[in-house]
Amino acid sequence: MKEVFGMWKYTKMVVLVALSAAIFAALLIPFKALVLIPGFTEVRPANAFPVVLGLLFGPAGAWGAAIGNLIGDFFGTLGVGSIFGFTGNFFSAYVPYKLWSKLGLVDEKDEDPLLLNNTKKLINFVVMAIMSSMSCALIIAWGCEVLQLVPFAALATIISVNNTIPSIVLGIPLMLILYPRIKKWDLLWTDIVEEEYLDKKSAMAKVGALLMVVGIVGGFTVGLIAALGLSGQAVFASGFAQGQVGNVGVALLAGIGVALTVIGGFMQK
Amino acid sequence: MEMFLYLDKNTYMHRLDPRTKLIVMLATFAVVLMFKAIPILLGVTLLVIAYGLSGKVLSNLKRIKIILIMINLFSVVIWSIFGKGVTILIGPLTQEGLLYGVATGIKLDVMIIAGMIFLSSTKIEEISMGLQKLKIPYRVAFAFSTAIRLVPMIVGTTYIISQAQRSRGLDLDSGNLVTRIKKYLPLLIPVFISVIRGTNVFAMALESKGFGYSSQRSSYLQIAFKPVDLFLLAVISLLLLGSLYLELVVGW
Repeated sequence: MKEVFGMWKYTKMVVLVALSAAIFAALLIPFKALVLIPGFTEVRPANAFPVVLGLLFGPAGAWGAAIGNLIGDFFGTLGVGSIFGFTGNFFSAYVPYKLWSKLGLVDEKDEDPLLLNNTKKLINFVVMAIMSSMSCALIIAWGCEVLQLVPFAALATIISVNNTIPSIVLGIPLMLILYPRIKKWDLLWTDIVEEEYLDKKSAMAKVGALLMVVGIVGGFTVGLIAALGLSGQAVFASGFAQGQVGNVGVALLAGIGVALTVIGGFMQK
Repeated sequence: MEMFLYLDKNTYMHRLDPRTKLIVMLATFAVVLMFKAIPILLGVTLLVIAYGLSGKVLSNLKRIKIILIMINLFSVVIWSIFGKGVTILIGPLTQEGLLYGVATGIKLDVMIIAGMIFLSSTKIEEISMGLQKLKIPYRVAFAFSTAIRLVPMIVGTTYIISQAQRSRGLDLDSGNLVTRIKKYLPLLIPVFISVIRGTNVFAMALESKGFGYSSQRSSYLQIAFKPVDLFLLAVISLLLLGSLYLELVVGW
């Protein structure tokens, strides 16, 4: 996570944070009326952006997604859920750029690793979109479960589906069109920051990536199983069941997933 | 129509230090989250409304009334139907589910109203300055406030691009909602590109004005706690402590 804090010394990265946030917010706001869970989430085609912003602008894209989501909340839905929305959207852009070249689907010698010009890279993008959506869903649903606001199973499933579909359907064409231009303008984050902030190919980084994957997939799955089993919740809208939100087991298991995701991020220097 | 919620009025609330208003908002979230009893939640709602009235910012309720109503309806309907209470009212509706739904709806609405009061009485530059005074780094606060200022510009750019495409014959108005969304999505790419293309120039302009030259920055806008801020902070601290006592000791 060194680059997450170190990037602020680069003026261009600060500008990219502001522009990413503004674009994300500007696309979130018009859909605020198409509510899925009032006060928590709505139909969000703008969710195509965090994965793309993360891959292109790295930590600037992650901060941009987080701040953009907060600004979107300023238009009528600012509440305690905004804290988890900020963190969840940060991770939805952070996870893709941290894991992009660590799952073995992208050739390490590829000079254009982000150019979606073969099936393996397309599959990698789809996997990143799913991981990004699951991380966002895990963090927000865990936070709302802890605060006893919305059941984990309902929110986690709705957010993950709501994020995954636009990330894949719109994200791939966006990436295909934007990547060559952003690269030509020298605005890829890897072209802006110094070597010390780029991912090292160390054993520690690999373990960190593995922890992150285990944290996201494990936390989401185990949290969901616990929510469905331990506290008898149900997925999607059926998951709203009185008295079952705020289950300690669900909060603990999903919380371990959140913790592993964060620790995995810190280990990937 | 003005995109943002800020209302330019000369009230004590508008003159409060932004940190005070931020703390009041966060304390409201905390108090609301502590209780499940409807009478207490209604009491907190009245307090929040009185606070909003004192700052003459409740006219913005008109702008978010649909959201507030939808939250309440959704919460009551969903929790009543899917809640597993034991006292059946009609069909799948249970008394316990209904009461829980009403309480959750009030909680969410109060938090959103508290957020609205904060945004209606605080300028963007004041929020940015408040964040800096709370030890958020200047560059983070700058990115935050710049992003907020850029939103109307991006909306404007989207409008210009959509008008340009209309003039070339693109039909954006026919079809159902999904079809119309599909038609708008390709317009995102020129919007994104036109905004991002300015990054290099924007960064150069900032640096030519000395952005990041010194960590000790001066500002035209100065904020400081005044007696009214301290009074309000004392009141909110007492309310918070009282709520903690009721929740932890009395067990309400």
